[in-house]
Amino acid sequence: MAEAATPPLTRAQMRADIARALRMAPDEFGDDEDLSDLGLDSLRAIDLVTRWGQAGLSLDFGALAEKLTVEAWWAVAERTMARPAHG
Amino acid sequence: MAEDLRCAEPPLTLPPAADGPPLPLTEAQEGLWFAQRIDPGNPVFNTGQYLEFHGPLDRAAFRAAVDGMVAEAGCLALRIRETPTGVVQQPDPALRPWLEVVDLSAAPDPLAAARGAMRRDMDMPVDPARGGLAAERLYCLSPTHHLWYQRAHHLVLDGYGTELLVHRVAALYAARVAGTDPGAPLAPFAAAVEADAAYRASPRRAADAAHWRQAMAGAPEAVGFTPGAARTARSAHRAEAAIDAATGAALRRLAAAQEAAWPDLLTALLGAYCRRIAGEEETVVGATFMNRFGSAAARAPSTQMNVLPLRIRLDEAAPLAEAVEPVLAQLARLRRHGRYRGEQLRRDLGRIGAGRRLHGAIINIQPFHGIPAFPGCTAELRLLGTGPVDDITFDLRTDPGAATLRLDVEANPDLYTAAEAAAHATRAAHFIAAALEAGRLDAVPTATPEEARRFTIAANATDHPVPDTTLVALIARAMAATPEATALRFEGASLSYRELDRRSAALAAELAARGIGAGDRVAVALERSPELVVALLGTLRAGAAYLPLDPAHPPERLARILASARPPLILAATPLAEGVETLPPAAWPASGEAPPGPAPGDAAYALYTSGSTGEPKGVVIEHRAIVNRLEWMRQHYGFTAADRVLQKTAATFDVSVWEFFLPLICGGTLVLAPPGAQRDPAAIAALIRDEGITAAHFVPSMLAAFLAHPAARGLAMHRVFCSGEALTAELRDRFHATLTAELHNLYGPTEAAVDVTYWDASAGDTSNPLPIGHPVWNTRMYVLDEALRPLPAGVTGHLFIGGVQLAREYLGRPDLTERAFIPDPFHPGARMYRTGDLARFRDDGAILYLGRSDGQVKLRGFRIELGEIEAALGTSPMVAQARVIAREDRAGDRRLVAYLVPGEGYDPAALRAHLAARLPDHMLPAALVPLPALPVNSSGKLDRTALPAPELPATPGRPPEGQTERRLAALFAAALGLPEIGAEEDFFAAGGNSLLAVELMLRVQEEFGRDPGLGALFEHPTVARLAVLLEADALPPGDDGLRPLIRLGRGEAERPPLHVVHPAGGIAWCYGRLARALGPEIPVLGLQAPALDSASPPPASLEALAEDYVARLLATHPGGPVHLAGWSVGGIIAQAMAVRLRALGRAVGTLALLDSYPAEAWRAEPEPEPGALFRALLAIAGHDPARHPELPMRRGPVLAFLRQGGTPLGRLPEAVLDGVMRVMEGNNRLVRGHRHGRFDGTLLHFRAARDHAGRALSPAMWAPHAASVEVVEVPALHGEMIGAAAVAQIAPVLRRRLGP
Repeated sequence: MAEAATPPLTRAQMRADIARALRMAPDEFGDDEDLSDLGLDSLRAIDLVTRWGQAGLSLDFGALAEKLTVEAWWAVAERTMARPAHG
Repeated sequence: MAEDLRCAEPPLTLPPAADGPPLPLTEAQEGLWFAQRIDPGNPVFNTGQYLEFHGPLDRAAFRAAVDGMVAEAGCLALRIRETPTGVVQQPDPALRPWLEVVDLSAAPDPLAAARGAMRRDMDMPVDPARGGLAAERLYCLSPTHHLWYQRAHHLVLDGYGTELLVHRVAALYAARVAGTDPGAPLAPFAAAVEADAAYRASPRRAADAAHWRQAMAGAPEAVGFTPGAARTARSAHRAEAAIDAATGAALRRLAAAQEAAWPDLLTALLGAYCRRIAGEEETVVGATFMNRFGSAAARAPSTQMNVLPLRIRLDEAAPLAEAVEPVLAQLARLRRHGRYRGEQLRRDLGRIGAGRRLHGAIINIQPFHGIPAFPGCTAELRLLGTGPVDDITFDLRTDPGAATLRLDVEANPDLYTAAEAAAHATRAAHFIAAALEAGRLDAVPTATPEEARRFTIAANATDHPVPDTTLVALIARAMAATPEATALRFEGASLSYRELDRRSAALAAELAARGIGAGDRVAVALERSPELVVALLGTLRAGAAYLPLDPAHPPERLARILASARPPLILAATPLAEGVETLPPAAWPASGEAPPGPAPGDAAYALYTSGSTGEPKGVVIEHRAIVNRLEWMRQHYGFTAADRVLQKTAATFDVSVWEFFLPLICGGTLVLAPPGAQRDPAAIAALIRDEGITAAHFVPSMLAAFLAHPAARGLAMHRVFCSGEALTAELRDRFHATLTAELHNLYGPTEAAVDVTYWDASAGDTSNPLPIGHPVWNTRMYVLDEALRPLPAGVTGHLFIGGVQLAREYLGRPDLTERAFIPDPFHPGARMYRTGDLARFRDDGAILYLGRSDGQVKLRGFRIELGEIEAALGTSPMVAQARVIAREDRAGDRRLVAYLVPGEGYDPAALRAHLAARLPDHMLPAALVPLPALPVNSSGKLDRTALPAPELPATPGRPPEGQTERRLAALFAAALGLPEIGAEEDFFAAGGNSLLAVELMLRVQEEFGRDPGLGALFEHPTVARLAVLLEADALPPGDDGLRPLIRLGRGEAERPPLHVVHPAGGIAWCYGRLARALGPEIPVLGLQAPALDSASPPPASLEALAEDYVARLLATHPGGPVHLAGWSVGGIIAQAMAVRLRALGRAVGTLALLDSYPAEAWRAEPEPEPGALFRALLAIAGHDPARHPELPMRRGPVLAFLRQGGTPLGRLPEAVLDGVMRVMEGNNRLVRGHRHGRFDGTLLHFRAARDHAGRALSPAMWAPHAASVEVVEVPALHGEMIGAAAVAQIAPVLRRRLGP
């Protein structure tokens, strides 16, 4: 599939984007670390969701808000990318 | 028996189909609950919004969607109850706000009808204890036009919670009409409570607390944009302004460049705006944190919003990106600790209690408000209310990608007018756009271009034709017109205009003969007398300027003035100085012809004023300037030849200029007060009466002294003018209460020909503070910032004056002249004068004077307007006159000191209490200094140097003194868990919070037998202040609140009291609300179980108990019929007491039972199981026994658990808890064994009409035990019968029964 070849978001890119929003280095936090402890809140999350949306990946804000780790977010992203797009 | 216990006290009564156990309040809810509790009638806690749908809405599908959401959102069905042992909340399915559909399509204007209905609904206060906290309504305006209205109390929902509900409804609707996936249901409300509890228990909370303490170190006191206490009002002004697409794009661009979220950048820009308005180097705003991330509560609709302080310190001169960076970095840091409650931080920092705050304006950017799709319809969101607004809030709700943004402003009507709120919205939006466009903050004016035009041009449209002439020409005209009229009166003698003409012309001729004319200054040093007037006028007619000198001034000062002004001649009775010729009146010629006189541009007088450096400055005023001032006054106030103007101001003070010359240009009479009379109120009053004075001037402090004198009472004049000091509203009101005259407040420096603004403070003026008003003719007033840019209304700045009245110069000081008289940026070629005064425009263009820019009073960072304290002093009859100053008698220890002339019944303690009731703590004077009179200097102003230093207490933390303070201090310390507390320590600063406050006030109520109300603690948060309050009410000696007979409401002494009998637990405090509702007339006494004390033997039977209570009751009964009431078990006992009283032959007035049922009903229930008592006790304390299966239902473990739990009940002495359990158990036994006697009167039964469904409980069960039974239905549950709503129904019935 053509879409699989160019995913709108990679795990590394997701981590880099989060780090930038938090003004931290991408290797400064772990996959399972609570992002809210690091200062991630709705404003930044919205911003990230918007950026990823612009890149072609529309993530459910409520689903992301339930658990704030890179691990959990990536799982949401993977699930979303696996779902067939609808109009 | 469990059932019996449940009937006995409210916490035991679980609603029949409760949805889960009672839950404690979250930290976010506590403050809101308390605020509503203090002000139960306040509807401002309602949040509300509506979505406007255009398009064919499927009403059935919509109803199903909303009802589906309502079924999931437990928060909307909450009931929040205050129990004697704590506040608990519980969703009640019966309270779910199912969608109401309202068809308004037949209304003449359906939209207006819907808006009106929503407004009315929003304005209805909600009692959290009754439920009904939320509403869901669909207004049908037409088949394709609908408004979906949602209201929820802020206790249960915040902005994000609302968002969750809207999205849930949209998902459910779309699922119905389009078959899409409805998604996951909302999370239960309990998840939010659990998340709150988890955070409270986590070590993270302590770490956050530490962070915040450090982050707030050295932060200034938070102040708002306007003076006044930011207390929750009952409504809010709302306004909005658009932020256009270009600005939104610029915002995003800069945010992207900064790698920041645009809402953060917007917060920083709004913070910069707030800093501008506050006019402080650093200002503290409140930033909102959504507070849901990383918690299971993310999908649980609830209230979580947190407001935390953001310190705005900016380098306005830096490029914008650089300037906002510290704020962005701060936001990133603060966010890591954003779960810590702002309310708690406020307590941590001691910024609580009267007048202290954590932040000023709130900035609330919620970029998560995307309006979801409702298939087939367009939807637009309108906010109706977002909860209480203490000061001003900048709200921005949008979805992340919106092109245009809307800024909503909500403002407290106690602090802002609607126009001011609207102006803030427009101005802030403009500021943001301008800052982004300019790329720098300092390039952005505070005012919008429209405001700048308004306050520089429109407010100064004062052009008015005035003849280009001289003072001499105007007076000459009057002299020629009415030569025989009286020009002067002095000590009973008159001088006609003809005589004045002759004598002044003769002196002018003499001066001219000596070569004195235009460009010269003639010094005049004469006492008030006709010669003084001749000297001034003669000098003017010679074409010279007069230079008044006060011979009483220190010789050194006079020498400096003479050296600077270099007059060729002094007109004085005796030689004043070496080297300058003196011409005494005796040597003046009797006749002579006046020379042609001066030109309009020649100097008329030169007045020396004290400079801040101590070097006197000679202000030179030209004829043209003073002619403008006098012609304005003559015409504006309608002065005529009939006017008689009192002259009592020293010639060295510029007010004298109009006193001297205004009557002379009108052809009226100038009445000279004898020398020295200006300081003698009796002499002034006599002059006003005897001479028929029509106009007089007073400096406000002299006016205060004058009004205080009995001779002033009942005087009548046409007009009184005030200037020279700030005129307070309080003095204005005293003026009108004392005498009859118009009162006019004038303002102006010597540098602008006496006065440049005027305000009519005549009877009917209610301004407070009192303005200096509007500019006089041909005069411009500017309020400018440091960069000389116009400021809008409400923002304090520097006051500048432009126009024809400006002085020519400071004599011989071009340097000073150049500094003070600068180019007028709004009138090319013109000058303006820097007054050194601070001022701001009112919204109507009137100017408020705010003191000297160099002499602003600031204590602990607070801007303090001393006039406000003086006004508060003036409202007490104990004060005849008062002035407040800030003194620094010890280095670094600046304190407010009130100097006052005592009035009737002066008592320092009572006066302090009076002030404490009117002023925030930071404005309370540290000392009150009574003086026989306030010292004034020669110009009539307060002589600060003559004020004695006060004696101040050595340390602020004095120990409690006296019986009341010591008893209160013990309660404070116990509530706070402290070993002791000082008399002046603030309860909240010492660690108190709202729940502890409830507990404390319960204790106060027990201890003192009277509840001053929770609000009283906020107003009087110290032992000393609360003690004053309690003592003022002449309270009886206290007890521990557990005695068998306690006084719950005082009432009138001779009235027979209502005796209320305790319910099952044996304590009667629960009737406090009923007692208050029956006050102040009807006394209420509570009967409590003697067995609460373990030393008291348990009663043998209920009859024996009733007998004992009757004996106790009669021991204090004043005579007359006995009135009885009782709730639950208390009703059973009351009925038995009534039977006993009748057996004793006593009259029983009223026997009222609050949802009590006879013993037969109890016997029908099974015996309670072992452990039921402990379960009951746990439930009273707000714990759900079922959630603690591990807890052994035995005394020791249960009590230990309660003590850890931190609820007020857990803090009661163990012996009391034992007593409560003992009494409950005993009452169960007594009731079950009781056989009712028959009462031969009417039994009044208040039935809990909403309870007992499906149970065989009926008031009719009493029929065998009373002559008749009368039933009053109260729409409440059994447990609510002593709550506010039920009491509101029961009290009026009882009041009628208990007679007039």
